[in-house]
Amino acid sequence: MSTKEQERRIELLQGTLDLLILRTLLLGPAHGHAIAKAIEFRSDDVLQVEQGSLYPALHRLIKRGWISSEEGTSENNRRAKFYRLTAKGRKQLALETSKWDKLAGAIAQILRPSEQEGKP
Amino acid sequence: MKRRQRMLEELDQDLRAHIEIETRDNIERGMTPDEAHYEALRKFGNVRRVQEETREVWSRVWLEQLWQDVRYAARMLRKSPGFTAVAVLTLALGIGANTAIFSVVYAVLLRPLPYADPGQLVIIFQAKPQEQVPFTGINYVNFAECRTQSHAFAEMAANQAHQLTLTGVGEPSVLTTMVVTPEIFSLLEAQPLLGRTFLPEDGKRGATPVVILSENLWRSQFGSDPNLVGRSISLDKRLFTVVGIMPAGFHSLLLTAHEDIWIPIAQDPLFGPWMSRFSGHWLRVIGRLKPGVSLAQAQAEMDAMSAALAKEDPADNAGWQIRVAPLQENIVGESRPALLVLLAAVGLVLLIACVNIANLLLSRASSRAREIALRIALGAGRKRIVRQLLTESAVLGLLGGIAGIVLAYWGVHALSSLLPADLPRAQTIRVDGWVLGFALALSFVASFIFGLAPSFFAADSSLQRGLKESAGRSGESGGQRRARGFLAVAEIALAMVLLVAAGLLMRSFTMLTSVNPGFNAEHVVKADISLPQFQYSTPQQWSAFSDTLLERIHAEPGLQDSAMAAPLPLDEGNVNLGFEIVGNPPLPPNTAVTADFTSVSPDYFRVMEIPLLRGRLFNEQDSPSAPRVALISETFARRFFPNQDVLGKQLKFGFPPDGDVAREIVGVVGDVRDISLSEAPGPMMYVPFAQAPFWGGQLVVRSSLSSASAAVSIRKVTHDIDKDLPVTDIATLPETLDASVAQPRFRTLLIGLFGLIALLLAAVGIFGVISYSVSRRTHEIGIRVALGATPASVLRLILGESAKLVLLGLAVGIPVALGLARFLSSLLFEVHPADPLTFFGVAVLLTAVALIACYVPARRAMRVDPMVALRYE
Repeated sequence: MSTKEQERRIELLQGTLDLLILRTLLLGPAHGHAIAKAIEFRSDDVLQVEQGSLYPALHRLIKRGWISSEEGTSENNRRAKFYRLTAKGRKQLALETSKWDKLAGAIAQILRPSEQEGKP
Repeated sequence: MKRRQRMLEELDQDLRAHIEIETRDNIERGMTPDEAHYEALRKFGNVRRVQEETREVWSRVWLEQLWQDVRYAARMLRKSPGFTAVAVLTLALGIGANTAIFSVVYAVLLRPLPYADPGQLVIIFQAKPQEQVPFTGINYVNFAECRTQSHAFAEMAANQAHQLTLTGVGEPSVLTTMVVTPEIFSLLEAQPLLGRTFLPEDGKRGATPVVILSENLWRSQFGSDPNLVGRSISLDKRLFTVVGIMPAGFHSLLLTAHEDIWIPIAQDPLFGPWMSRFSGHWLRVIGRLKPGVSLAQAQAEMDAMSAALAKEDPADNAGWQIRVAPLQENIVGESRPALLVLLAAVGLVLLIACVNIANLLLSRASSRAREIALRIALGAGRKRIVRQLLTESAVLGLLGGIAGIVLAYWGVHALSSLLPADLPRAQTIRVDGWVLGFALALSFVASFIFGLAPSFFAADSSLQRGLKESAGRSGESGGQRRARGFLAVAEIALAMVLLVAAGLLMRSFTMLTSVNPGFNAEHVVKADISLPQFQYSTPQQWSAFSDTLLERIHAEPGLQDSAMAAPLPLDEGNVNLGFEIVGNPPLPPNTAVTADFTSVSPDYFRVMEIPLLRGRLFNEQDSPSAPRVALISETFARRFFPNQDVLGKQLKFGFPPDGDVAREIVGVVGDVRDISLSEAPGPMMYVPFAQAPFWGGQLVVRSSLSSASAAVSIRKVTHDIDKDLPVTDIATLPETLDASVAQPRFRTLLIGLFGLIALLLAAVGIFGVISYSVSRRTHEIGIRVALGATPASVLRLILGESAKLVLLGLAVGIPVALGLARFLSSLLFEVHPADPLTFFGVAVLLTAVALIACYVPARRAMRVDPMVALRYE
């Protein structure tokens, strides 16, 4: 049972990671490392992203056409890939954000009464 | 795909840049370079895995998973070889039988005719609805008129089949001769292998006799002589110049298994003189529609043509309609119902096989419940599990399909030896691309059918339980149990339908073969003797030959009981002639009365044991110079002379020049089924051979000699008279009777076989369900026995369960069978589609087989040791 829940959590995280990447790129194009740093920084380090898992997510988003990539130069003058939000991605972000809000609201509604019921 | 490759190539660079930036950040935070690099790697995670996961994003995951599933399925099937073997065999049987039957259906019904633009080819025939003549040929005069006047057709041609004797090359042999108009080759767009086809001039009367040979004849009789074209061969003792050789695949009529030669109608000794006749319906006419002309337009033109012909020559053409129909439909139309019934029956067999495998899979699925529950727990999605199970059944289906195709190759081979000789286009039956495609499609459809139910239950939410259940008694939900029962019931119902079909056909076939043909076929041998008509050209010669032949045959030991007949009943078809009763008022036009005609030598009735009912038989005094006499059959007397004394009455009938001769009825003989065993005897009239001779006929001999030695004697006597006379088709009359029911025998045999397979599969299905149920209820039975249940009551328990399945199956199967049996009615002879005896017999048979099938599990149940059973838990 516990393995199963773990699996679900990973799945949830995957979708969330996509959402976080899109949100980060809303501020402007960035390379992989910068995205990871931004997510860590903006969530007050609560969300510890295993940095490597960013890349499959980035490629998934490229495949879906939500972001695009271009060659650029990083701070240390190395060639690196910069990722940019596409118009399609922007729409998707709006959609996902509202979905997320609904989900979060719904879960909050369920959780609160259940806490009260839980008391004997 | 290019993008995918580029993205993956750049990934490495991207990852390296990432780690480098992180390392630099770490150094800035005060780590040593080594520490910084290590920390960066730790934070990044497994580089290899990131690469793989990214690759997966781009790869066709679906295909990879499929491959994974297929390999997994193969592993699972290998792990339970018994199950796999049974399932694959069952399926192979179903698919093999279906493929074999489909190959027949495809070759006969579906494959386009082997000519260019076959859709434009039509048959043109005449019909006379007032006299219930649905289909007959057209005479040459009318054909020529239609051909020159019509605008709807690009070309029209006519043909007829006949037999000529080839002499001068080895033994005299009879050739199947197609008597044609020259245009038939250009109409069919057929090219010769060597030489040329006919030119319009070849068709004119008085032209040099020419002949075209089939490749087969050219190879077998003339050793593939490349210089044969231009030389002459002797047909019925006349020389014909060979102008061409047609390739082996070419057929102009498609009805016969082979065609040896083609000659222009004008050169045929029999049909040539008929070309100027205004009456008769003897040519089979085919046409090619002009591009863009519809069947309806062609028909409209022919309607106008019929009206014009009727106006020109009302005596011959009034009431006759010229009709146009697609050629293919005309060729195969008659065999369609029987073939479709066969296809449906074999489809049912496959359905039963599928149900059986579904049942097997279901019981396996419940014993695999733990494995599946584990996989779900480990994170496999429901869809993924269903997909995996469906892949497993698809692999099973494919294996069954491959084995089935092997079986089908063998089956088609076996079928070809069983096929009735008169099945059109049977020579083209083979396993080809279409048939293979059908088999493959069938195996996938089948695997979907039998894979669906188990997958459905595998994805059922109750599977969580699977993990909790102990290993020994894996959980089976109530739904699953019901599904298994339902499948067994379905199997019994389907088997019921097939067995009813088989039973009805068998009953019908028994009726057909036990029907009294009106003569006694036992110990009678027949032989066809045909006289070359250029040499024997007058009726006097024919009659003289027959007299000599019979005289010499009678002198042979053991052949005293012999006679000539033309034609012989149930052999080469019947001759139907119109007649007039002398003294009756003339019939109104277009209401001719007809009867079947046979010309026989005096001993015929004695040899065939056809009883004389009144008057006398023919005798030697009924010579050409004596008064003309005739015998009629009982039905003739009853129908046309009700409550009258027929003896002494006169009939006018006969072939030209004797068409209008009055013949006195001297006797009445018993009825004979001359057209087919299944057709009630019609009116028949007989004349003495001496007064109506033919260029040959059938010799019948009742003899205690073996048919082989009788054949030797007949040949010897015939060749003593004329060494160039061919004696063909020597057979015993029972063989001839047998051949006349080849089609019903074929379908009865096949459907009987399918019924047997269905019965076996149903028995296996019931066995599976009951034995599974017994093993599941071992515990319960143990308790019952411990509480004092006797073995007999345990037996009743198990039999009751089986009986419930059978009764439900019959309750579903009987109405379905009743509904479907209607479709058989056209194939049944003197058996009603709802024949109570058949239904009752099949129900009893199924019940008996079901009870036998549950005998083994029931015995196991009776021997349950309560101590063992209770400890089991």
